[in-house]
Amino acid sequence: MSKMLSVENLSISFRTDEGVITPVKGVSFTVEKGRTLGLVGESGSGKSISTKALMQLLPGTARLGAASRMIYTAKDGQQISLGNLRHGSKELRRIRGGEIGMIFQEPMASFSPVYTIGNQMMEAIMLHRGLKKREARQFAIGMLNKVGISNAAARVDQYPHELSGGMRQRAMIALTLSAGPALLIADEPTTALDVTIQAQVLDLMRDLQRELGMGMIFITHDLGVIAQIADDVAVMYLGTIVERGPAKEVIRNPQHPYTQGLLDAIPSLDHLHDRLKPVPGDIPSPTARPGGCPFHTRCTQAIAGTCEVHEPPETSAIPGCAVRCWLHTSQGRSAA
Amino acid sequence: MSKHKDTLIEVRDLSVHFPIKTRKLFKTEVQMLRAVDGVSFDIKRGETVGLVGESGSGKTTVGRAILRAIDPTDGEVIFHRKKKGGIDLAHASEAELRKVRSKLNMAFGESGGGIKVHNLADDLLRAFRPEMSLVFQDPYSSLNPRMTVRDIIAEPLIASGKYKNREKVDARVREIAARCKLNLEHLRRFPHAFSGGQRQRICIARALVSKPKFVVCDESVSALDVSIQAEIVNLLKDLQEETGVSFLFIAHDLSVVAQMSHRVAVLYVGKLVEYAPTEKLFFAPKHPYTHALLSAIPSADPDAGFDPIRLQGEIPNPLAAPSGCRFHTRCPFARDRCSAEQPEWREIEPDHFVACHYAKEFNFSRS
Repeated sequence: MSKMLSVENLSISFRTDEGVITPVKGVSFTVEKGRTLGLVGESGSGKSISTKALMQLLPGTARLGAASRMIYTAKDGQQISLGNLRHGSKELRRIRGGEIGMIFQEPMASFSPVYTIGNQMMEAIMLHRGLKKREARQFAIGMLNKVGISNAAARVDQYPHELSGGMRQRAMIALTLSAGPALLIADEPTTALDVTIQAQVLDLMRDLQRELGMGMIFITHDLGVIAQIADDVAVMYLGTIVERGPAKEVIRNPQHPYTQGLLDAIPSLDHLHDRLKPVPGDIPSPTARPGGCPFHTRCTQAIAGTCEVHEPPETSAIPGCAVRCWLHTSQGRSAA
Repeated sequence: MSKHKDTLIEVRDLSVHFPIKTRKLFKTEVQMLRAVDGVSFDIKRGETVGLVGESGSGKTTVGRAILRAIDPTDGEVIFHRKKKGGIDLAHASEAELRKVRSKLNMAFGESGGGIKVHNLADDLLRAFRPEMSLVFQDPYSSLNPRMTVRDIIAEPLIASGKYKNREKVDARVREIAARCKLNLEHLRRFPHAFSGGQRQRICIARALVSKPKFVVCDESVSALDVSIQAEIVNLLKDLQEETGVSFLFIAHDLSVVAQMSHRVAVLYVGKLVEYAPTEKLFFAPKHPYTHALLSAIPSADPDAGFDPIRLQGEIPNPLAAPSGCRFHTRCPFARDRCSAEQPEWREIEPDHFVACHYAKEFNFSRS
């Protein structure tokens, strides 16, 4: 399997009125062709902005850390450093949509309300596939059919508000895929949908990925969704990946206290009468990021004198998995 | 419906229709959107009833109609008092009402009978408000940014007019705030200083400060992260145990509803399709729609199979609801009778209500 995206040491900071905040700090991950990486974390953990940095979609106040590396291998085998692309350059325009596609959470907000679905799809198709208008229309209808929209030939001339939520999200997927991306970033694509529609969309994405051999980054806060769709998973907390590895392994045998806490907090139909186990405390505000291990303020197993002082290194307790926690280092164990 | 002595809220044939106006060239056409159509169920004292359904099924409308935030088009909502007798507020004459208004405590005190919320006059409704309350979904937009937390929590007390004395108000505010894990320092601050979970605790304190008997939680934990969501669910359960309040818990996340509720009702396009105790509903549903809905929950267990039932088509537009059983257009078991005849809302087993012609033939039991 070939690596198509490798992100190393990604740090993002913003200058705000309250000083410089760093919502993403030293994040590294890779995406392989035909595999899905799940990014999980609570709100404010930096999942979305890490992926927006790939497409240079961050607001102007954002600064990337000096050591940040984002290497993308394009369809023609060329290696591109995403951080170095200039705004408005031809290359960046080719990457956006043509190489890396993105699906956002709110399908209503990502379509323009004043153009028909077909119009918006054709624009992307003509730009990235170089087809003529008429061919592009046929192609758009084909894509809508593929994502399971019935009566596509009529739907193509409808406006986004005429479609239901689930259908709009499917149309969004069709639009994104019609540009033929090799890597798909899906940012909470099913969060705003009902469970029945969510199941349909997940099914669809799984099938399309298999068919087209795309790499995929799937951002969600729902570990249930991760368990069903992701091959690998990275758990983020306050801008740091605290644990990563094959999804099944991480969910079955979580090593980091935060991952354990997240899994324990999920209500389960098998334990209807047990009390839920929340992760104690609140997520610290980004302006008051705790020193040392970011999770130490809420961790029940924190080692006094170590966790709040030093940031834990990444260690591998289980082959293929990596965890950032002092409990899994020899130093930490002796201190405890 | 059951006339159990523990019944607190009785909803009978509740309907809410909204007129939808479409302007044509020379005339205005009015269509009726039947958002809620003939819904009947009851809620006992100290019980949590979960209300689930897809978006547009009318969950929120049911909750608001019970609270009379929306006026029901038809049907009855009866709020039962512990002791029978008293004044029938719904049918009292104007002179009687005037007498009652001056003695509101008498009307709503221990001697009050069943109160017909659905046609309570405005000023009586206002006096009745402290008995019922609401917690919203978004803890960011439901708190006034210009009020301190103390003022936010105290507002229902002051609005009720029962508390004239500032010290008494403060004492009650502090009491409920402490129960919701807010300290005195928090009460002086403004909402912007709080995280999502803390804000939702403020909303819960505000809802419970007037000691209501009934609270509607409309997607109250849906916007929260799982770790915080678990904390709020636990808090609501604790408060219920202490005060005996009843909840109508509206949510689209079925596993949270299962955790919270004693009984669960399933809505589909404005009609109830099933109502049963939580375990029966989740492990032995009788309605094909409930079965399909449950199969779509993704499990966090990677070994559990995920094979959701693929329902055909889309949720029907309530403006043009299908004839007969509203689910027949998507039901995998639909027969001719389903499109012709509306299924009856019947008690198929004790405490298990379902609206399906063939419910007895299905066995959807899950291990």
